[in-house]
Amino acid sequence: MADKILTKHFGLDNLFKIDAYLKNEGYAAAKKALSEIKPDEILEEVKAANLRGRGGAGFPAGVKWGFVPKDIEKPKYLCVNADEGEPGTFKDRYIMNHNPHLLIEGIIITSYCVGINTAFIYIRGEYEAVALRLEEAISEAYDKGFLGEDILGTGFKLDVYVHRGAGAYICGEETALLESLEGKRGNPRLKPPFPASVGLFGCPTVINNVETISNIPSIILNGAAWFCKVGLPKDGGTRIFGVSGMVKKPGIFELPVGTSLKKIIIEHAGGMKEGKKLKAVIPGGMSAPILTADEIDINMDFDSLVEAKSMLGSAAIIVIDEETSMLDVLRRVTKFYSHESCGQCTPCRIGNSWINKIVKRMAEGGGKKEDLDKIIQLANNMLGKTLCPLGDAAAMPILSIIQKFRDELETYFEN
Amino acid sequence: MSPELTDRTKKKIEEIASRYASKEAALLPVLHLVQREVGFISPQEEKQVAHLLDIKPIKVEEVVTFYTMYSQEVTGKYHVQVCSNLSCSLLGAELLIDHLKDKLGIVEGETTADKKFTLTTVECLGACEQAPCMMINFDYYGNLDKGKIDDILDNLE
Amino acid sequence: MVKIFIDERELDVAQGTTILKGAESAGLKIPHLCYHKAFLPEGTCRMCLVEIEGIPKLELACSTQVRDGMKISTKSESVIEARKGVLEFLLAEHPIDCPICDKAGECKLQDYYEEYGSFDSEFKEAKEKRQKRIDIGKNLLHDQERCVLCRRCVRFLAEVTKTEELGVFQRGIHAEVSTFEGIPVDNNYSGNLAEICPVGAITDKDFRFKTRSWFLKSRESICPLCSRGCNIFVESHQGFSRFQLPKRVYRIRTRENQMINGFWICDKGRYDYAYLDQERLDKIVVNNSQDSHSWPEITSLVAGEIGRLYHMKRSAHIGLILQSWLSNEELFLIDKIFRDDINIEKICFLDPPEENADDFLLTAERSPNIRGAKELGFDVQPADWEKFFDDVDLLFVFASPIKNESDAEPLKAALDKIDTTVLFATHNHEINSSFDIVLPMSLIAEKAGSLTNIVGSVQGFYPALDAPGDCKPAWQFLVELANKLALNLGFYNQFSSPASIREVMKKEISFFREEQ
Repeated sequence: MADKILTKHFGLDNLFKIDAYLKNEGYAAAKKALSEIKPDEILEEVKAANLRGRGGAGFPAGVKWGFVPKDIEKPKYLCVNADEGEPGTFKDRYIMNHNPHLLIEGIIITSYCVGINTAFIYIRGEYEAVALRLEEAISEAYDKGFLGEDILGTGFKLDVYVHRGAGAYICGEETALLESLEGKRGNPRLKPPFPASVGLFGCPTVINNVETISNIPSIILNGAAWFCKVGLPKDGGTRIFGVSGMVKKPGIFELPVGTSLKKIIIEHAGGMKEGKKLKAVIPGGMSAPILTADEIDINMDFDSLVEAKSMLGSAAIIVIDEETSMLDVLRRVTKFYSHESCGQCTPCRIGNSWINKIVKRMAEGGGKKEDLDKIIQLANNMLGKTLCPLGDAAAMPILSIIQKFRDELETYFEN
Repeated sequence: MSPELTDRTKKKIEEIASRYASKEAALLPVLHLVQREVGFISPQEEKQVAHLLDIKPIKVEEVVTFYTMYSQEVTGKYHVQVCSNLSCSLLGAELLIDHLKDKLGIVEGETTADKKFTLTTVECLGACEQAPCMMINFDYYGNLDKGKIDDILDNLE
Repeated sequence: MVKIFIDERELDVAQGTTILKGAESAGLKIPHLCYHKAFLPEGTCRMCLVEIEGIPKLELACSTQVRDGMKISTKSESVIEARKGVLEFLLAEHPIDCPICDKAGECKLQDYYEEYGSFDSEFKEAKEKRQKRIDIGKNLLHDQERCVLCRRCVRFLAEVTKTEELGVFQRGIHAEVSTFEGIPVDNNYSGNLAEICPVGAITDKDFRFKTRSWFLKSRESICPLCSRGCNIFVESHQGFSRFQLPKRVYRIRTRENQMINGFWICDKGRYDYAYLDQERLDKIVVNNSQDSHSWPEITSLVAGEIGRLYHMKRSAHIGLILQSWLSNEELFLIDKIFRDDINIEKICFLDPPEENADDFLLTAERSPNIRGAKELGFDVQPADWEKFFDDVDLLFVFASPIKNESDAEPLKAALDKIDTTVLFATHNHEINSSFDIVLPMSLIAEKAGSLTNIVGSVQGFYPALDAPGDCKPAWQFLVELANKLALNLGFYNQFSSPASIREVMKKEISFFREEQ
């Protein structure tokens, strides 16, 4: 039985209440970290664990924390990215709903390590029920002395606030998240400077995904070596895979990094729905290039997916069946990105809209073969040329769908 | 002409603003608060909020028009937001949207004459394992079919 | 200093410079739309992407800092493709308004399309329809279809005037620049918006449909409407052979000078240029008659009148009213001729009254050379008119455009009582008819010289326009007059140009000797 880290106690009643949490190793890691371990040692441990970001980009958390300048007069901030907007992704919702204290505990240790006294959980506005649960849990944590002044008598001080977004996928991008948190439009910023040096209110800021931070307590308790053993040496721990689409049992499945995609779909998610045949799989959220039915024999870790010219992203697996038109899939993709583009930079603003207009025309029966070539050219003019990764997030799936399902798409055109 | 925000709301706004290094950062949470109280965010509310947070009203308008959850017009008592993204579409969201249009007699973006329901389609709600799903105000409903939708809507006062 | 290579050309640039600035310092242009020297890099147009050796992705020239040994290509295949890509995107949603757009001929989109594009449109969809011809305040019209969302206008109003009348609303392809609740742009620097807009999204009503940019000759000058001395371009029509145009000057543009006005000029300096063409006095008028007279004739006449009184030892009965629109050189000559040579005592200034300064460029002083006059030893305080006009036989008045009736008040009553009155004027005005001799003078835009601004900067200027009709620059008349008077033989012979006058000023007065 594979180790479960994040969902370990999910079956328990009222795990979201602090009393239940405390009864199950709750806040033991925070206690250990704050009283026994130096911040520098925590940083080294997290680096050694090869904990890669679970929001989509996969950047090593320890390395990111290490970029924060040590001797600086400004306050430092932690922003937990709970925007969860990547289509197909719903894992963070589970963590925050069922085990909010795990996240809070992770926040405490992270903040202690980096020298942060104020943390914001930037949660998407639609997750109102989850936000209320988080606020409840935070309130409980304050009451029990895990947050606020002089935590556990160590002198460490930390305030945590829940900050709601208001419907913008782009705010999952770290610099757009900062802009949004500062009360502005979610327009990504130019990098450099990077948030680690100039972030929230111009201060050094760490931004990490909910799942990433939620792994910290177990790394503290069990060590980096253990974390790497659970997963892979260069990519430690588990992932919460979210499966949706035409499977029998859609839902979350916490499994070691490197688990086979085929296994996840067929064994854990119960395989295809009755009478449906598998046609395609999106492995890591809508931004990940699509895989054909022949390509699902692949291990779900960052490197393997890069090698397959796709990405692990948010580990959100969307399973598509033979009866679904790939033109329809393409239509959902282009509609989404054109709707979510912030509009700042030329290629994304106009590129996404133009491609969406072409695909809409195609879906309404007015498509021609050369339209596909045009879309490819436009997508390539977005790829690598935009201010933020949303341009790539749009271009990659569009290009992969056309490349791998061109024959089918051409059947939809007038002769 | 909308009435002024209540003292209670103004106090809450002050409290929220105190969490941040700059008052402007309180804007998104404050707009949620105001929309809950007033039902929408018109230029009147924008000016009031701007005044309370020491920013220019134009900055508030910039934000209100950027984010999809803020409405500048009155919406129905129940804002029915149906996900039309990939997983939900795979599981038949389009048919459910058509069903809702028939049932309510309106198209996307419209409100019923009795001001009870507003219907919109939205992008991924983050509940794909329960596709097809919708959000009514802030409540999620998943694993929908025509019958379930009818049940849910018919039971809303 | 750091050594970089742009298109294999070796350059030395300062540490911390961006690629774009470094290239520009070597005369290499990298196309850009959202970047403007006055603001921090925005990075959104994506037009300035360049290739850097060793870096897989193209990088922005406007915001990437140079590093020692950096090898940059602005002409590689991938860069050319990227540029075409950006242009194609912009043009896809851009209305082809060129035939009716005032920006034609100076539009970045046109220029870059010609240089880097020249492809056919492959956009087969419906363009977004937006509002056009929106009056956003003062002289500005906004066209949302032409807008490329560079946000230069929004940034200008946020960072320079801090008035923030414009914002960006909606998102994605629906993003648009607009005012809030119709509250118009209303500040003294609004005209700069039409200038910094790289396309015809914000245009100037003052220039709308008047002419084409390629008919205009752009010449350097200095704005004389206050004492800031902002650097400007006077843009005049080159004229058509077949018919006359109603005016010469079609607009005033800002000219960058980091020591004086930075990147901007105020709306007063930008829009109050009608005086350059309207109601100009361009011929010599004596006793209100239609008879024509020549300059040599008049110069002799005036010299005669002065000489007569001088030799009768009645210099004290000659009055001289000056204005601070005269250049440093002209005031210097006046000082020499009237104070030193003729020994005139009755000298005073009649400048336009002070008005409100703004908190940026516009000064309360509303003439350009008050400081210059002071440095030349003149007292610019308002005169005691009763005392001044007591027993005056000969009066000389140097007048800039008289706009307010109140400017002319002190003169009107006194003129009848004086034997001979000479007006050096630039415009037709009711009061001209009260003078015996009216002489047409060139404006600052039509001559050369220097002015001293409020903080003591001496700025040289050259003619931006030809002087109309018989107009003469004051300095030239003064030299000719001095030669006729022959009171200081030889001294004035050396003055063939304002520059030569300035050379002598530098020798005689330490203020003008100091490095400007």
